[in-house]
Amino acid sequence: MNYQLMLSLQDQPAVMERVLQTTRYRGFCIHQLRMQQGPKGLSVTMDVSGQQPIHILTGQLRKLYDLSSLEIASAQPVGKTA
Amino acid sequence: MSNKMTGAQAILKFLGHQGIEAVFGYPGGAIMPLYDALLDSPIRHYLCRHEQGAAFAAIGQARSTNSVGVCVATSGPGATNLLTSLADAKLDSVPLVVITGQVARPAMGTDAFQEVDVLGLSLSISKHSMQVLDGKDLLPSLERAFFIAQDGRPGPVLVDIPKDILLSEVSFPALKPVQPNTTTSADADLIAKANQLLAQAKRPLAYVGGGVGMAEAVPQLRDFITTNSLPTVSTLKGLGAADADHPLYLGMLGMHGLPAANLAVQECDLLIAIGARLDDRVTGKLDEFAPHAKLLHLDIDPAEIHKRRQADVAILGDLQAILPQLQGPASAAWCHHIAQRKAAKAYNYSQADDAENIHAPTLLHYLSEQTKREAIVSCDVGQHQMWVAQHMTFADPTRHLSSGGLGTMGFGLPAAIGAQVAHPDKAVIAVCGDGSFMMNVQELATLRRYGLPVKILVLDNQRLGMVKQWQELFHQERYSETDLSDNPPFSRLAQAFDIAAEEISEPSQVQEAVARMLAHQGPYLLHVRLDANANVWPIVPPNTANHQMWEQPQ
Repeated sequence: MNYQLMLSLQDQPAVMERVLQTTRYRGFCIHQLRMQQGPKGLSVTMDVSGQQPIHILTGQLRKLYDLSSLEIASAQPVGKTA
Repeated sequence: MSNKMTGAQAILKFLGHQGIEAVFGYPGGAIMPLYDALLDSPIRHYLCRHEQGAAFAAIGQARSTNSVGVCVATSGPGATNLLTSLADAKLDSVPLVVITGQVARPAMGTDAFQEVDVLGLSLSISKHSMQVLDGKDLLPSLERAFFIAQDGRPGPVLVDIPKDILLSEVSFPALKPVQPNTTTSADADLIAKANQLLAQAKRPLAYVGGGVGMAEAVPQLRDFITTNSLPTVSTLKGLGAADADHPLYLGMLGMHGLPAANLAVQECDLLIAIGARLDDRVTGKLDEFAPHAKLLHLDIDPAEIHKRRQADVAILGDLQAILPQLQGPASAAWCHHIAQRKAAKAYNYSQADDAENIHAPTLLHYLSEQTKREAIVSCDVGQHQMWVAQHMTFADPTRHLSSGGLGTMGFGLPAAIGAQVAHPDKAVIAVCGDGSFMMNVQELATLRRYGLPVKILVLDNQRLGMVKQWQELFHQERYSETDLSDNPPFSRLAQAFDIAAEEISEPSQVQEAVARMLAHQGPYLLHVRLDANANVWPIVPPNTANHQMWEQPQ
């Protein structure tokens, strides 16, 4: 499945590395990544795909202490675009 | 009195405010200001002989007290030497605060002497990590580290501090001890659904993990088991949580689980996972694990729910609050069946009485009886670790320190040092394998330096035993690099550190040698020579269901 995740992050050192490492380790590939700095921190939109259910990834991302919020914006079977 | 002080002094004052009386570490260039400040601090520092040993000692202290352990190291190799212990604490959910010195800010990013990106290295093996880049962030970072280490599921937090911040002047504000969040009460609807599952179950089984001890929910667990007459199995980290004398307690499950425990799991129709995460060493072939059971999963960590198996009902929260709300007595027929199976599969220690070689299970069972379950026992990793889990019993999970998730050889001796520092009046025993013992053998010097009365039992089969066992059983007896018959004479090695020691090799020597070890006032090493061919039974072969375990050949 392909998923689009929207994350709000506190702008702390290594926060993006944490997100990327967690995503890789939990078995998901990142196809597109957009990051924008704002007054409340970082807004990140990330398109990912993986064999595992998405809760395996989102459950781990939600444990990051620099994560303010996470939404699954869309979910599509592989081969379809969001 | 001025509230201005150096960053290094502020760290130590902060630790004192958190109730930290002892830290473990090793000095070096970037952390020198902290070591200078230690000379004027009431905090006791225990110099270990390797940073890994220092961190394992902090883990031993943390696990034996259910509170935060602290260790300190310098930048570069000091920091990298800590990493295995950091990973160990992550996988076993140990509240640890690791403080590393870093090169001064102007030198950062220049490949300076003893500079390493420990923040980057720590990302995947810590619960959280921080680098202090401004003096005003120093104390808030430490407060956050203590909060995160204890919040929800505990874990290790690394705080990397550049040397110039340690030397700079900072203000010390009024602080209170950091308290973790009070967890919210469990969802009432979920409690009702859980009780419905319990009421419907004909063959319920409690499967107890390390989360029970960490939640300090041992009394609630024991009440839950007793009130509902529940048969119970335990993970390696859960040992000590359930009352080992309860007639329906079956011991450890999993790859080296006891037969009655594994068979009960395969037969149950409701598996109540309590602070446990269905890890691969427990489940064996996951598709065939507890095949007839619905799963009721109780945990503090949302990410563990549905991770390895879909739960029928999952309740997140504090086990102290959840367990008293659950009820559903097991049927008499199921209890009778479990009790009969337990008796039929009970280990027969007398069978080994006339053996030529010392029988490790019998020795450990005897040691457990002699210490009346009150000793704190730390282990290394391998065959001896599984024998401890199978044949010793514990009054509480804080009495059994074993590297479960990472399975780190070399854990036992330094963890015992930390436990002994935390509990100077308790008996602390490190049960080591000959392979593992050599991995942190330098900590004998720490024992000697502080006169810590840790007892070391080296179970020596002159092999890297567990790997040897797998080579024998699953690699056609092709023994590759597992022969350790060139081990040093461990008793003489201990004596070189001025630690009393003796060596035994005959079954008739065991009882008197154990008595001498336990009665000795200071540190003591008992070197026990074992048969190199001894294996751990039962064993569940790879990719096999737990009920297809191989039991001891007759």
